Amino acid sequence: MESRPLVVVGAGVSGTAAAIEAARAGVQVTLIDENPVPTSLARLNVPQFFGQRFTDALRDKAAMMDRIAAANGALREAEEAGVDIQLGVCVWGAFRNSENSRILDGPQIGLADHERSSMMKYDRLIVATGSRDLSIGFAGWNLAGAMGANGAHSLMSRHQALSAQRIVILGSGNLGLSTAKMALDNGIEVAAILDVTPSVRGEKTLAAHLQSKGVDIYTSHTVKQAVGSNGDIESVVLVETDDNFEPVAGTEKVMSADTVCLAISLVPNIEILSLLDCDLNFKSHLGGYVPIHNDWMRTSVDTVFVAGDAAGFHDEMVLNREIARNQGRIAGIAAAESLGAINKSEARSLISEIGTGVPAVQPTEAHTIWKQWLNSLANAGGQDVIACQCEEVTRSEIIGLKPPRYLEWGSVQMSRRTLQTQLKDNPANPNQVKRLTRAGTGICQGRNCREQVALLLAEESNSDIADIPLSTYRPPLRPLPLNIMWPDDESEDVRNEWPKWFSPNNKVLG
Amino acid sequence: MNEAEIVVIGGGVSGLSSAYFLAKAGKNVVVVEKGMVGGEASGRNGGMISERTDEPALIPLALESVRLWTTLEDELGYPTEFIHQGRIQVAVSEEEMGDIFTERDHALHHGISVEQLDPSEISELIPGISGRTLGGLFFANGGHANPQRAVQAFAWAFQDRGGRLYQNTAVTGINVEDDRVTSVETTAGTIAADVVVATAGPQTTLLADMVGLHVPVAPARVEIIATAPLEPLFDIALVGNGLYGRQAARGNLLFGGGAHEWIDVGLTSEPAKPNTPLIRNIARRLAELLPAVADVPVIRSWAGIVEQAPDYMPIIDIPDTPSNYIIVTASAHGFGIAPATGKVVSDLVLQGKSNIDISGLTLNRFSHLTPDWRKKRGWVPAPEHP
Repeated sequence: MESRPLVVVGAGVSGTAAAIEAARAGVQVTLIDENPVPTSLARLNVPQFFGQRFTDALRDKAAMMDRIAAANGALREAEEAGVDIQLGVCVWGAFRNSENSRILDGPQIGLADHERSSMMKYDRLIVATGSRDLSIGFAGWNLAGAMGANGAHSLMSRHQALSAQRIVILGSGNLGLSTAKMALDNGIEVAAILDVTPSVRGEKTLAAHLQSKGVDIYTSHTVKQAVGSNGDIESVVLVETDDNFEPVAGTEKVMSADTVCLAISLVPNIEILSLLDCDLNFKSHLGGYVPIHNDWMRTSVDTVFVAGDAAGFHDEMVLNREIARNQGRIAGIAAAESLGAINKSEARSLISEIGTGVPAVQPTEAHTIWKQWLNSLANAGGQDVIACQCEEVTRSEIIGLKPPRYLEWGSVQMSRRTLQTQLKDNPANPNQVKRLTRAGTGICQGRNCREQVALLLAEESNSDIADIPLSTYRPPLRPLPLNIMWPDDESEDVRNEWPKWFSPNNKVLG
Repeated sequence: MNEAEIVVIGGGVSGLSSAYFLAKAGKNVVVVEKGMVGGEASGRNGGMISERTDEPALIPLALESVRLWTTLEDELGYPTEFIHQGRIQVAVSEEEMGDIFTERDHALHHGISVEQLDPSEISELIPGISGRTLGGLFFANGGHANPQRAVQAFAWAFQDRGGRLYQNTAVTGINVEDDRVTSVETTAGTIAADVVVATAGPQTTLLADMVGLHVPVAPARVEIIATAPLEPLFDIALVGNGLYGRQAARGNLLFGGGAHEWIDVGLTSEPAKPNTPLIRNIARRLAELLPAVADVPVIRSWAGIVEQAPDYMPIIDIPDTPSNYIIVTASAHGFGIAPATGKVVSDLVLQGKSNIDISGLTLNRFSHLTPDWRKKRGWVPAPEHP
């Protein structure tokens, strides 16, 4: 098995900055990024919510590698600093010894490119995996053309492969506003930006700039539905909302658009941190469950550091990428120090020049806006809207704790059971909802519904989303074909001494 | 004080099945579960159901259990995803073929219906299976079910019969007077009981210590992988190439197997259940077994903690003292035999004896073991590793 002193996961702003600092401090650094992803995954909205709005260019892996490298100037700097850069490689697993798993040969990650998988040992890991789009379903969001802002950003900037013509943006924070600006810069029409809030959430100057370019911003509005034929969005119905996020009758507007972009908020990508059992906390102003870390970006697990959106996302970070960059630099220096490449005082002096890596402005809590959006969408579009696209589970089926439709199960007893009755027995638990309704068990691995399920559980249990436990992450963190997960390097011992269950000879499995 | 006729400790499938049949018989029953029902091995196993032809002492229980499974959904009123299409065991090596012959002889000896299959017959039953199969066995009376749904079904049906279910409630002590259990101390208070049924899985030994009994079981961690859903391929439970598993009603392939890791557990805490890179080896074996679908993505994996008695067999028994403490521990056979286990426990409580032969499952078969038996066998956790 390969072994590296420092592996940085994610070649975005923070990960690249981390890699450069550590390499300059004399550490041999491996920087891994899963982009470009196979189109088979992109089609499933994994790992980013692309909404089928990518061009054929995405199929050309070599061309995409070039574009991704060109889009991030710092990558060249990293290369010059001697960083080993691996694009198109995902991290699907992370393993370390712990109380009930003691026989690993040191901490290691599972990697896969488009053809094969492997394991890599590390001494230190920096998780700079960024964030993903917060998805909340509206009627028609399972049509092609519903996508996420992060997905749109990625397709426009890194891949130059966004195929949208006319776009409606949900969310007036800096995330939504910057998506609109980038769309205009890429020659895409922006039909509207809307938000449930009574005023624009993001930078007023940016909003004014967009309005001067003819973009309409609708505050106190939500989506009633996206409409389309042949599986593609063709128009979007907006509706005004009152103070209780109820639709105002007679205010519907139909906008022609082929794309609806969810730009409500981003959620930190903490899957690897969760697998490694780093301590996590729900912090609303940082976008959900985030790792606990010290000033030097070290998590509760000594060998693991974190930087950028994965450490916590807030809207200011969209416009000010210095926050993520600084966190990355600090993590890179701290990891180098922990490996003994530089001493503590050197590290301290380097870090003191950077600043804290925390935002200048105290960010506001995020989940109030999540909740307002869910309420407005539920009020305008109803609860018979799909929440989990993979398993086609609606919000009302989650609230009703319904067994999946394919079981065709009906009984008096079952009809008496709902999420409410379940909550009398047990605190809200998304894993239990997952087991019973199958919401979150699909091929997107819950990326597009876990916050919705948590919001519904909070709503039904009259509690705060911060009190809803994290739905479990399990490897592989990406859908990985059997024949790619297949270990080429399987040892003869494992091969020949595969046990038959627990039993001695002549006993069978199962 | 809170009181019940019967307190069942452990809301896994054995405990809930026992509680269900007791509540159905009109008893006042409380189930105490430290987490949520089916949160451990009962909800995390492969869902296999068979007549246990390889375990003679278990056959009477297993046969009765399959019979009960066939009507369980109607009985409980909730779905279990039980499928009664048989179980197939295939050999892909000469060594496995040897096991096939042994297994066939066992089955015939015990009067169990078994059919020997050649590779072409196997291909008909399991489309897409490896061309390397040498032969196999088909047990018509096998099947599978969804563990999570089945455990929840028992729990709900238990409540529907008036049972009280205390989840997130851990047992902290058991009071014994004059060789009888009088009450159970829990994080939700003391519960007086006439009878205690201990269905505590991996915690069995720790719990039994509280009443001065030595019940030898060793906990171990095992792993399973799940693929994305596929079109229906087969509805027969499948064993082969070192794996066991099934295609779920939704279409996902769920297969487990491979090395286990011995661990220790606490009495009140939830044990961590990490996966390991072993899931790659499981994926390879599944791809070898079903090469036609080798490109299906794995989307999930999980681990579970099972307990094993020294002879890999369940213990169902009432000790001499305390004489009202029923021990049930299943050595990873628990899910398939759970309906019959519940019947047996209910019979033991109501009539003092079981109508099903459990004479091979007594505790005293281990009376010769010393408390350090795990160490002697090497059934202990590996030393702490950096």
